[in-house]
Amino acid sequence: MEPISWTGFWIVFGTCAITMLACRVLPLFLLKGRELPERVTEALGFIPPAAFAALVANDLLTPGMFAAGFWPAGAPLVAALIVVVVARLSKSLLLSAIAGVVAYALLVMI
Amino acid sequence: MFTLDNIRPAFKAAIPIMLGYVAIGIPCGILSASIGMNALQVFMMCALFYSGAGQFMIPNMWIAGAPIASIILSVSFVNTRQMLYSAAFAPWCENVSKKLAFWFAATVTDESFGVNTQQFEKGGWSVQRATFVNLFSQSSWTVSCVVGVFVGNAIDIPLVIAAFAMTSIFICLLVTQKLTAPNVVAAITAMVGVFVCKLVGLSGPAIFIGALVGVVCAIVFSRIREGGSGWSR
Repeated sequence: MEPISWTGFWIVFGTCAITMLACRVLPLFLLKGRELPERVTEALGFIPPAAFAALVANDLLTPGMFAAGFWPAGAPLVAALIVVVVARLSKSLLLSAIAGVVAYALLVMI
Repeated sequence: MFTLDNIRPAFKAAIPIMLGYVAIGIPCGILSASIGMNALQVFMMCALFYSGAGQFMIPNMWIAGAPIASIILSVSFVNTRQMLYSAAFAPWCENVSKKLAFWFAATVTDESFGVNTQQFEKGGWSVQRATFVNLFSQSSWTVSCVVGVFVGNAIDIPLVIAAFAMTSIFICLLVTQKLTAPNVVAAITAMVGVFVCKLVGLSGPAIFIGALVGVVCAIVFSRIREGGSGWSR
Protein backbone atom coordinates (compact mmCIF):
# COMPACT_ATOMS: atom_id res chain seq x y z
CA MET A 1 0.00 0.00 0.00
CA GLU A 2 1.22 3.46 -0.94
CA PRO A 3 0.77 6.11 1.78
CA ILE A 4 -1.88 8.68 0.84
CA SER A 5 -0.40 11.88 -0.66
CA TRP A 6 -1.60 15.41 0.07
CA THR A 7 -3.14 15.54 -3.42
CA GLY A 8 -4.96 12.25 -2.91
CA PHE A 9 -6.08 13.41 0.49
CA TRP A 10 -7.51 16.66 -0.91
CA ILE A 11 -9.41 14.92 -3.68
CA VAL A 12 -10.96 12.22 -1.49
CA PHE A 13 -11.54 14.31 1.57
CA GLY A 14 -12.64 17.49 -0.24
CA THR A 15 -15.25 15.73 -2.36
CA CYS A 16 -16.58 13.65 0.53
CA ALA A 17 -16.78 16.74 2.75
CA ILE A 18 -18.78 18.63 0.11
CA THR A 19 -21.30 15.82 -0.55
CA MET A 20 -21.61 15.33 3.20
CA LEU A 21 -22.32 19.03 3.80
CA ALA A 22 -24.93 19.03 1.03
CA CYS A 23 -26.72 16.00 2.52
CA ARG A 24 -26.64 17.59 5.97
CA VAL A 25 -27.74 21.11 5.13
CA LEU A 26 -29.82 21.18 1.93
CA PRO A 27 -32.96 19.26 3.05
CA LEU A 28 -33.30 21.39 6.17
CA PHE A 29 -33.01 24.64 4.23
CA LEU A 30 -35.40 23.44 1.53
CA LEU A 31 -38.09 22.68 4.13
CA LYS A 32 -37.34 25.38 6.72
CA GLY A 33 -39.74 28.29 6.94
CA ARG A 34 -42.37 26.74 4.68
CA GLU A 35 -45.91 25.95 5.64
CA LEU A 36 -45.59 22.16 5.55
CA PRO A 37 -48.72 20.12 4.77
CA GLU A 38 -49.84 17.91 7.64
CA ARG A 39 -48.95 14.86 5.58
CA VAL A 40 -45.32 15.93 5.21
CA THR A 41 -45.00 16.69 8.92
CA GLU A 42 -46.41 13.26 9.68
CA ALA A 43 -43.91 11.63 7.32
CA LEU A 44 -41.02 13.53 8.94
CA GLY A 45 -42.18 12.16 12.29
CA PHE A 46 -41.68 8.60 11.04
CA ILE A 47 -38.01 9.27 10.31
CA PRO A 48 -36.72 8.72 13.88
CA PRO A 49 -38.20 5.24 14.48
CA ALA A 50 -37.33 4.15 10.93
CA ALA A 51 -33.79 5.51 11.14
CA PHE A 52 -33.02 4.05 14.58
CA ALA A 53 -34.37 0.66 13.46
CA ALA A 54 -32.29 0.84 10.29
CA LEU A 55 -29.14 1.72 12.26
CA VAL A 56 -29.74 -1.16 14.68
CA ALA A 57 -30.44 -3.62 11.87
CA ASN A 58 -27.36 -2.45 9.99
CA ASP A 59 -25.19 -3.16 13.05
CA LEU A 60 -26.78 -6.48 14.00
CA LEU A 61 -27.94 -8.24 10.85
CA THR A 62 -25.79 -9.61 8.06
CA PRO A 63 -26.99 -12.15 5.50
CA GLY A 64 -25.28 -15.47 6.17
CA MET A 65 -24.17 -14.43 9.66
CA PHE A 66 -25.00 -17.87 11.07
CA ALA A 67 -23.19 -19.78 8.32
CA ALA A 68 -20.55 -20.87 10.84
CA GLY A 69 -23.06 -21.75 13.57
CA PHE A 70 -25.13 -19.73 16.03
CA TRP A 71 -22.18 -18.92 18.31
CA PRO A 72 -20.26 -16.57 18.42
CA ALA A 73 -22.33 -14.91 15.65
CA GLY A 74 -25.31 -14.75 18.00
CA ALA A 75 -23.41 -12.88 20.75
CA PRO A 76 -24.35 -9.38 19.49
CA LEU A 77 -28.01 -10.43 19.29
CA VAL A 78 -28.04 -11.70 22.87
CA ALA A 79 -26.21 -8.55 24.03
CA ALA A 80 -28.80 -6.51 22.12
CA LEU A 81 -31.63 -8.21 24.01
CA ILE A 82 -29.93 -7.32 27.29
CA VAL A 83 -29.68 -3.70 26.12
CA VAL A 84 -33.40 -3.70 25.24
CA VAL A 85 -34.24 -4.68 28.83
CA VAL A 86 -31.84 -2.13 30.35
CA ALA A 87 -33.09 0.59 28.01
CA ARG A 88 -36.76 -0.09 28.76
CA LEU A 89 -36.12 -0.04 32.51
CA SER A 90 -33.66 2.85 32.74
CA LYS A 91 -34.44 4.95 29.64
CA SER A 92 -30.78 5.98 29.93
CA LEU A 93 -28.49 6.10 26.90
CA LEU A 94 -25.39 5.96 29.06
CA LEU A 95 -26.51 2.93 31.06
CA SER A 96 -27.59 1.20 27.84
CA ALA A 97 -24.20 1.82 26.23
CA ILE A 98 -22.31 0.54 29.28
CA ALA A 99 -24.57 -2.50 29.64
CA GLY A 100 -24.19 -3.28 25.94
CA VAL A 101 -20.41 -3.11 25.87
CA VAL A 102 -20.02 -5.11 29.09
CA ALA A 103 -22.54 -7.75 28.02
CA TYR A 104 -20.98 -8.09 24.59
CA ALA A 105 -17.43 -8.31 25.99
CA LEU A 106 -18.48 -11.00 28.47
CA LEU A 107 -20.46 -12.95 25.87
CA VAL A 108 -17.60 -13.18 23.38
CA MET A 109 -15.36 -14.49 26.17
CA ILE A 110 -17.66 -17.47 26.70
CA MET B 1 -26.40 31.25 22.88
CA PHE B 2 -23.25 30.90 24.99
CA THR B 3 -24.94 30.77 28.37
CA LEU B 4 -24.50 28.15 31.05
CA ASP B 5 -28.25 27.71 30.80
CA ASN B 6 -27.72 26.21 27.34
CA ILE B 7 -24.32 24.64 27.82
CA ARG B 8 -24.96 22.64 30.97
CA PRO B 9 -27.98 20.59 29.82
CA ALA B 10 -26.38 20.13 26.40
CA PHE B 11 -23.22 18.73 27.96
CA LYS B 12 -25.24 16.37 30.11
CA ALA B 13 -27.18 15.11 27.10
CA ALA B 14 -23.99 14.72 25.06
CA ILE B 15 -22.06 12.61 27.62
CA PRO B 16 -23.09 9.19 26.25
CA ILE B 17 -22.12 10.26 22.73
CA MET B 18 -18.84 11.81 23.87
CA LEU B 19 -17.77 8.65 25.70
CA GLY B 20 -18.75 6.48 22.74
CA TYR B 21 -16.74 8.71 20.41
CA VAL B 22 -13.64 8.35 22.58
CA ALA B 23 -13.95 4.57 22.30
CA ILE B 24 -14.20 4.54 18.50
CA GLY B 25 -12.33 7.79 17.74
CA ILE B 26 -9.00 6.50 19.02
CA PRO B 27 -9.09 3.39 16.79
CA CYS B 28 -10.16 5.63 13.89
CA GLY B 29 -7.10 7.83 14.44
CA ILE B 30 -4.86 4.76 14.60
CA LEU B 31 -6.30 3.46 11.33
CA SER B 32 -5.94 6.86 9.65
CA ALA B 33 -2.29 7.09 10.69
CA SER B 34 -1.67 3.65 9.23
CA ILE B 35 -2.34 4.94 5.69
CA GLY B 36 0.06 7.83 6.21
CA MET B 37 -2.34 10.55 7.30
CA ASN B 38 -0.82 13.02 9.74
CA ALA B 39 -2.43 14.71 12.74
CA LEU B 40 -3.30 17.84 10.74
CA GLN B 41 -5.09 15.82 8.07
CA VAL B 42 -7.01 13.83 10.65
CA PHE B 43 -7.94 17.05 12.45
CA MET B 44 -9.24 18.55 9.19
CA MET B 45 -11.26 15.42 8.44
CA CYS B 46 -12.91 15.62 11.85
CA ALA B 47 -13.49 19.36 11.68
CA LEU B 48 -14.84 19.55 8.12
CA PHE B 49 -16.05 16.06 7.17
CA TYR B 50 -16.96 14.59 10.57
CA SER B 51 -18.31 11.18 9.76
CA GLY B 52 -17.53 8.10 11.82
CA ALA B 53 -18.53 5.65 9.10
CA GLY B 54 -16.82 7.71 6.39
CA GLN B 55 -13.58 8.16 8.30
CA PHE B 56 -13.33 4.42 8.81
CA MET B 57 -14.25 3.64 5.21
CA ILE B 58 -11.67 5.91 3.57
CA PRO B 59 -8.57 4.30 5.18
CA ASN B 60 -10.02 0.80 4.87
CA MET B 61 -10.74 1.20 1.16
CA TRP B 62 -7.37 2.87 0.63
CA ILE B 63 -5.61 -0.09 2.25
CA ALA B 64 -7.64 -2.42 0.01
CA GLY B 65 -6.33 -0.49 -2.99
CA ALA B 66 -9.71 0.85 -4.13
CA PRO B 67 -9.62 3.57 -6.82
CA ILE B 68 -10.22 7.12 -5.60
CA ALA B 69 -13.50 7.48 -7.52
CA SER B 70 -14.90 4.34 -5.93
CA ILE B 71 -13.91 5.54 -2.43
CA ILE B 72 -15.67 8.87 -3.00
CA LEU B 73 -18.82 7.24 -4.39
CA SER B 74 -19.09 4.62 -1.64
CA VAL B 75 -18.54 7.13 1.16
CA SER B 76 -21.00 9.61 -0.32
CA PHE B 77 -23.57 6.84 -0.71
CA VAL B 78 -23.27 5.90 2.95
CA ASN B 79 -23.79 9.51 3.97
CA THR B 80 -27.07 9.93 2.06
CA ARG B 81 -28.92 8.99 5.25
CA GLN B 82 -27.98 12.41 6.63
CA MET B 83 -30.65 13.85 4.30
CA LEU B 84 -33.33 12.18 6.38
CA TYR B 85 -32.01 13.65 9.62
CA SER B 86 -31.78 17.07 8.03
CA ALA B 87 -35.40 16.89 6.81
CA ALA B 88 -36.63 15.61 10.18
CA PHE B 89 -35.07 18.59 11.98
CA ALA B 90 -36.59 21.20 9.63
CA PRO B 91 -39.77 21.82 11.67
CA TRP B 92 -37.72 22.42 14.82
CA CYS B 93 -35.62 25.05 13.05
CA GLU B 94 -38.62 27.05 11.86
CA ASN B 95 -37.88 30.15 13.91
CA VAL B 96 -34.11 30.18 14.21
CA SER B 97 -31.64 32.28 12.23
CA LYS B 98 -30.12 30.89 9.05
CA LYS B 99 -26.67 31.00 10.58
CA LEU B 100 -27.63 28.91 13.59
CA ALA B 101 -29.64 26.50 11.44
CA PHE B 102 -26.60 26.04 9.23
CA TRP B 103 -24.20 25.29 12.09
CA PHE B 104 -26.69 22.96 13.64
CA ALA B 105 -27.43 21.08 10.42
CA ALA B 106 -23.77 20.87 9.40
CA THR B 107 -22.78 19.06 12.62
CA VAL B 108 -25.46 16.36 12.87
CA THR B 109 -24.44 12.70 13.19
CA ASP B 110 -26.44 9.49 13.70
CA GLU B 111 -25.91 9.70 17.44
CA SER B 112 -26.55 13.41 17.91
CA PHE B 113 -29.63 13.14 15.70
CA GLY B 114 -30.90 10.52 18.12
CA VAL B 115 -30.11 12.38 21.31
CA ASN B 116 -31.51 15.70 20.07
CA THR B 117 -34.65 14.08 18.67
CA GLN B 118 -35.25 12.50 22.05
CA GLN B 119 -34.78 15.86 23.79
CA PHE B 120 -36.96 17.81 21.33
CA GLU B 121 -39.75 15.27 21.80
CA LYS B 122 -39.38 15.47 25.56
CA GLY B 123 -39.88 19.24 25.33
CA GLY B 124 -37.99 22.26 26.65
CA TRP B 125 -35.20 21.77 24.11
CA SER B 126 -33.85 24.43 21.75
CA VAL B 127 -31.77 24.49 18.58
CA GLN B 128 -29.12 26.33 20.61
CA ARG B 129 -28.82 23.43 23.02
CA ALA B 130 -28.99 20.92 20.20
CA THR B 131 -26.11 22.70 18.47
CA PHE B 132 -24.07 22.48 21.66
CA VAL B 133 -24.76 18.74 21.82
CA ASN B 134 -23.40 18.51 18.27
CA LEU B 135 -20.33 20.59 19.07
CA PHE B 136 -19.50 18.69 22.26
CA SER B 137 -19.81 15.44 20.31
CA GLN B 138 -17.64 16.73 17.49
CA SER B 139 -15.00 17.97 19.94
CA SER B 140 -14.83 14.59 21.60
CA TRP B 141 -14.56 12.86 18.21
CA THR B 142 -11.86 15.25 16.97
CA VAL B 143 -9.69 15.03 20.09
CA SER B 144 -10.02 11.23 20.18
CA CYS B 145 -9.08 10.76 16.53
CA VAL B 146 -6.05 13.05 16.84
CA VAL B 147 -4.98 11.24 20.03
CA GLY B 148 -5.30 8.02 18.04
CA VAL B 149 -2.78 9.30 15.49
CA PHE B 150 -0.22 9.90 18.23
CA VAL B 151 -0.69 6.77 20.30
CA GLY B 152 -0.56 4.59 17.19
CA ASN B 153 -0.54 0.94 18.08
CA ALA B 154 0.56 1.59 21.67
CA ILE B 155 -2.96 0.79 22.85
CA ASP B 156 -5.27 -1.81 21.50
CA ILE B 157 -9.00 -1.12 21.71
CA PRO B 158 -11.07 -4.03 20.41
CA LEU B 159 -13.10 -2.05 17.89
CA VAL B 160 -15.94 -4.53 17.50
CA ILE B 161 -16.68 -4.32 21.21
CA ALA B 162 -16.17 -0.53 21.42
CA ALA B 163 -18.49 -0.01 18.45
CA PHE B 164 -21.22 -1.89 20.30
CA ALA B 165 -21.58 1.21 22.50
CA MET B 166 -23.08 2.94 19.45
CA THR B 167 -25.31 -0.01 18.62
CA SER B 168 -26.55 0.06 22.23
CA ILE B 169 -27.30 3.80 21.98
CA PHE B 170 -29.35 3.17 18.82
CA ILE B 171 -31.21 0.31 20.52
CA CYS B 172 -32.07 2.54 23.47
CA LEU B 173 -33.27 5.30 21.14
CA LEU B 174 -35.38 2.78 19.24
CA VAL B 175 -37.08 1.15 22.21
CA THR B 176 -37.85 4.49 23.86
CA GLN B 177 -39.80 5.66 20.79
CA LYS B 178 -43.57 6.06 21.20
CA LEU B 179 -45.10 2.63 20.75
CA THR B 180 -47.74 3.55 18.17
CA ALA B 181 -48.79 1.13 15.43
CA PRO B 182 -47.34 3.22 12.55
CA ASN B 183 -44.04 3.61 14.45
CA VAL B 184 -43.83 -0.17 14.88
CA VAL B 185 -44.53 -0.63 11.17
CA ALA B 186 -41.82 1.95 10.36
CA ALA B 187 -39.27 0.17 12.55
CA ILE B 188 -39.96 -3.38 11.38
CA THR B 189 -40.09 -2.56 7.67
CA ALA B 190 -36.94 -0.44 8.00
CA MET B 191 -35.11 -3.44 9.49
CA VAL B 192 -36.36 -5.72 6.73
CA GLY B 193 -35.33 -3.05 4.19
CA VAL B 194 -31.78 -2.93 5.53
CA PHE B 195 -31.48 -6.70 5.48
CA VAL B 196 -32.78 -6.96 1.92
CA CYS B 197 -30.38 -4.19 0.78
CA LYS B 198 -27.46 -6.10 2.24
CA LEU B 199 -28.74 -9.30 0.68
CA VAL B 200 -28.68 -7.79 -2.81
CA GLY B 201 -25.26 -6.18 -2.26
CA LEU B 202 -26.40 -2.61 -1.54
CA SER B 203 -24.75 -2.43 1.86
CA GLY B 204 -23.51 1.15 1.28
CA PRO B 205 -26.86 2.94 1.18
CA ALA B 206 -28.62 0.22 3.24
CA ILE B 207 -29.41 2.52 6.18
CA PHE B 208 -30.79 5.26 3.94
CA ILE B 209 -32.89 2.95 1.77
CA GLY B 210 -34.07 0.89 4.75
CA ALA B 211 -35.15 3.98 6.69
CA LEU B 212 -36.89 5.36 3.61
CA VAL B 213 -38.76 2.07 3.17
CA GLY B 214 -39.80 2.30 6.83
CA VAL B 215 -41.13 5.86 6.45
CA VAL B 216 -43.07 5.00 3.27
CA CYS B 217 -44.60 1.85 4.78
CA ALA B 218 -45.65 3.78 7.91
CA ILE B 219 -47.36 6.43 5.77
CA VAL B 220 -49.16 3.80 3.68
CA PHE B 221 -50.15 1.95 6.84
CA SER B 222 -51.63 5.00 8.54
CA ARG B 223 -53.51 5.95 5.33
CA ILE B 224 -55.03 2.49 5.07
CA ARG B 225 -55.95 2.56 8.75
CA GLU B 226 -57.65 5.93 8.37
CA GLY B 227 -59.69 4.15 5.72
CA GLY B 228 -62.43 5.57 3.50
CA SER B 229 -61.07 9.00 2.68
CA GLY B 230 -57.85 7.34 1.47
CA TRP B 231 -55.40 9.61 -0.33
CA SER B 232 -57.84 12.38 -1.08
CA ARG B 233 -58.18 13.93 2.33
